[in-house]
Amino acid sequence: MPIKRYLDQLKRMHGLLTFAMVVLIVGSVAFIYSASYRGPDAPMPSLYKWQVVWFSLGLALYLVVALVDYRLVCQWAAVWYALAIGLLLLVLLVGKSVHGSKSWLGFGGFGIQPAEFAKLAAITALSYYLFHRTQQQRRQWATLLGAMALVGLPVLLILAQPDLGSAMVLLPICFGLLFVAGVKVKHLIVVALIGLALLPVAWWQLKPYQKARLTNFLHPERDPINTGWNLNQSLIAVGTGGWTGKGYLQGTQNQLGYMPRPVTPSDFLFTVIAEEKGFVGSVCVVGLYVVILFSGLRIAAEARDRLGMLLATGVVAMLFFHVFINVGMTIGLMPITGLPLPLLSYGGSFVLASMTALGLLQNVWIHRRVY
Amino acid sequence: MIISAPFRDHNPRLAVLAVAMLAGFGLLLFALFRVQVLHADRYGSRETAQSLRRIRLPSARGEIVDRAGVVLANNRPSYDIAISLDQLGRISKRQDAVRIAEANIFSISRVLNLPVAVSDRDVRNHYERRRPIPMPLWKDLRTDIVAAFVERAGTLPGTDLIVTPVRQYPHGTLAAHALGFCGKAEQSPDDDEETFYYYQADTLGKQGVERAFDADLRGAPGGRTIRVNPAGMRVGNVGDKPAERGNRLVLTLDSRIQKIAERALTHAPLPAGKELRGAAVVLDPRNGEILALASLPAFDPNLFNPGTPAATINALLQGTAHPMLNRAIGAAYAPGSIFKPVTLLAGLEAGTVQMSDHADCTGGQQIGNRRFGCWNTRGHGRVDAFMAMMQSCDVWYYQEGMQMGVDWIARVATEFGLGRPTGLDYARDKAGLVPTPDWKRTTQGERWWDGDTAQLSIGQSFLLASPLQMANVAATLANGGQRYRPFIAQRIETPDGQVVHQTPTAVLNRLSAKPQNVALVRQTMLQAVESSQGTGHHAGVPGLRVAGKTGTAEFDLREDGRTRRINRAWFIGFAPYDNPAIAMAVLIEDGVSGGHTAAPVAGEIMAGIFKRPWTKTGGGAYAD
Repeated sequence: MPIKRYLDQLKRMHGLLTFAMVVLIVGSVAFIYSASYRGPDAPMPSLYKWQVVWFSLGLALYLVVALVDYRLVCQWAAVWYALAIGLLLLVLLVGKSVHGSKSWLGFGGFGIQPAEFAKLAAITALSYYLFHRTQQQRRQWATLLGAMALVGLPVLLILAQPDLGSAMVLLPICFGLLFVAGVKVKHLIVVALIGLALLPVAWWQLKPYQKARLTNFLHPERDPINTGWNLNQSLIAVGTGGWTGKGYLQGTQNQLGYMPRPVTPSDFLFTVIAEEKGFVGSVCVVGLYVVILFSGLRIAAEARDRLGMLLATGVVAMLFFHVFINVGMTIGLMPITGLPLPLLSYGGSFVLASMTALGLLQNVWIHRRVY
Repeated sequence: MIISAPFRDHNPRLAVLAVAMLAGFGLLLFALFRVQVLHADRYGSRETAQSLRRIRLPSARGEIVDRAGVVLANNRPSYDIAISLDQLGRISKRQDAVRIAEANIFSISRVLNLPVAVSDRDVRNHYERRRPIPMPLWKDLRTDIVAAFVERAGTLPGTDLIVTPVRQYPHGTLAAHALGFCGKAEQSPDDDEETFYYYQADTLGKQGVERAFDADLRGAPGGRTIRVNPAGMRVGNVGDKPAERGNRLVLTLDSRIQKIAERALTHAPLPAGKELRGAAVVLDPRNGEILALASLPAFDPNLFNPGTPAATINALLQGTAHPMLNRAIGAAYAPGSIFKPVTLLAGLEAGTVQMSDHADCTGGQQIGNRRFGCWNTRGHGRVDAFMAMMQSCDVWYYQEGMQMGVDWIARVATEFGLGRPTGLDYARDKAGLVPTPDWKRTTQGERWWDGDTAQLSIGQSFLLASPLQMANVAATLANGGQRYRPFIAQRIETPDGQVVHQTPTAVLNRLSAKPQNVALVRQTMLQAVESSQGTGHHAGVPGLRVAGKTGTAEFDLREDGRTRRINRAWFIGFAPYDNPAIAMAVLIEDGVSGGHTAAPVAGEIMAGIFKRPWTKTGGGAYAD
């Protein structure tokens, strides 16, 4: 009976991972509620209810993706990849502009962000590609260049939207996978150096607002009204959180509107948590990610085969990059990019993408070697 | 199904990745710790600076009452209509906000049928700087307009009726100079602007006791901390500290006596066509309490409230009669013959004067190469010390003055407190001047002549004294030689009646003169009023033993480039003679003579104080 087999497999899921995920999901709904809260008499935006819908869909996806053997999933890697590239092209043609970048593909009242799924497609495609190279091949330039070409295409398409942040995520995924796949470190360093050398060219290609976002985190006081505003206000919100925070629904920075209202539930949800729950809350959030990501690395280490290991590593690299950039930007450690916080930030596409990614981790875990 | 190649456990590069991630999380946690714990204070103060504003709540000023509790200054409610710019809804652009506010103000003005009293600039300034506090549109409205507003309040967007305390002087001009007046405080210098970002001015005492005791009357301003959003709109109150009502000032003034004194001054028989400019001071000679401090013409301190047209205030400030000048303490005049009691005491102390000393007054006296006249040009004939005081004979004083010498006169005059401020508690009063040979040499570059001594002995020459100083001379003679420090603030009480300050009576000095000499001077002053030939006869009150002395000081008034000789008409005195309860000085700047103009004023005041009938109208013959 397939049903019974699936139930058996569900019992073998990585419990700690699921636990941390559920805690973050509950926190997400609670703090999106708080981020939209404007006082006892003010009308309540229904954002948090939508997030519940996204999580419900995501949970279903999580279970499905966990159960269908990842080796089967990856056999279709080329299809996923082609599909993602197709969507990225489509969004460039008929996409909706939101906050200055054409990243949304709308159907009626809904929309998806193809870039989020492109990240997953890139992970499966790269893993599958590297899995099929022999150890010999993996130490050669050709493999490295092939992998870079595979990632380069979606990177360019996402940059064209332009969505600098999402495009950047693909690079650490690529490097992480190449690194654990056994590519020569020397080669990676050469590539990194070439990349650094090309930075001025890339800089020249950036739009002024992108440049401003990238530099203002270094000098938030330079333009406190416009681009520096968000960072300044986020810093004040996080800073006034202190040890234990101002209390749930008590975040004045957010409620008074000092935090940018439209993007606080998505980009600055960590700020709301840090303001209301203080350093203790921050440590809890970071701790939950540590649990998830180190479970991910364990899953990679215990994978049945290299494919599983690569897949898990790719997911971990993607999630880590998101967490590090997002939390870092709320306190001026990283430039302000629109990278959301996995499982916490509001946003359908990214919730689904994150939970699919976690489903893949569970998949690798469920199908690991069991002696 | 993909056939898996045998997989090697323990990929060392996964461990490298793990270490890298651990380092990343460590960095995040350290950075969070820095922001949230180490630098929490800094961000706290930045949040306060941007989202908390303190509004100063002015306190209600304490009341001022007279010695019997009669209220001389208190507060009345002023009904103002104000508009709250922050309740006009969500307005993104400044121009829009100001435009919408103005449209609203215009429609309210039409409904209430009041002309718009604020300018575009006022609205813009208020919007920029004081957005969260209501902007007053009309102040101190009549009750019918307030009623009309209340009826329609629901339909007028963002408007409010605001009640603010306004200083009020229920008796109008009564004791105006002593009370002073209030105005809006300038941006307070001692409060830093950051704590009171939105400043609402206190009422500040600008003159008189309002100014001198401002710190006590003012009370403590309260504060309201409000939270504002990034647009500067108020979103809530964080905390209130109520303003504390100011303390109550109890004056030594007796409003009854003050009224009597002011009314008596207006009865002064003036030469035709002269307007009244004068002062009257009534002291309690037993302790220095000021019972009345009158100066005319006066002003209405209620005019200094907001709402009075600037033109009215300017007319007051620039009036030719100087109504703002407190003539009782703020100006010094030549005293003339009211100085003679001082001269007489100096001579008795010097030993050069015997009461029986005689002079033959022929209406004048040759001194050096100049003839000095007596006010009575026909001459008093043969006069002794009593007659000289009673009839105010100048010739007797010329002769005796030159014998005793200027030093003795100056010394005793100084003991009476002339030539320096009296030490009055609420304001620095005029010092006046007691001239001496040294003074004349250094300031006039001229030697002291015998003629100067002669002039000084009848209270002329360079001698100057304020009515308060002369009243204190009278008080010092009245009580037998103790000079008290005059004061007007009896005590200061908290609003619930606890005394926080009580002004002690203070003897500044005792006359060094022998008591019997002081007694002799007092006797001469009694005769000057009681005798039907006394120049002070018009100050006499039936059934009351009044002692006093008149004075008429000639003064060359320069006005519009022309010099005009006018007479300062004076009277000093005390009563009842045997146990003096009051001492006083009356001055009319431009009168006929002391006996003609000032003495009847003094008489009316004393009759009023001691509740005696007063039927005299004053006037009569010229009498020094």
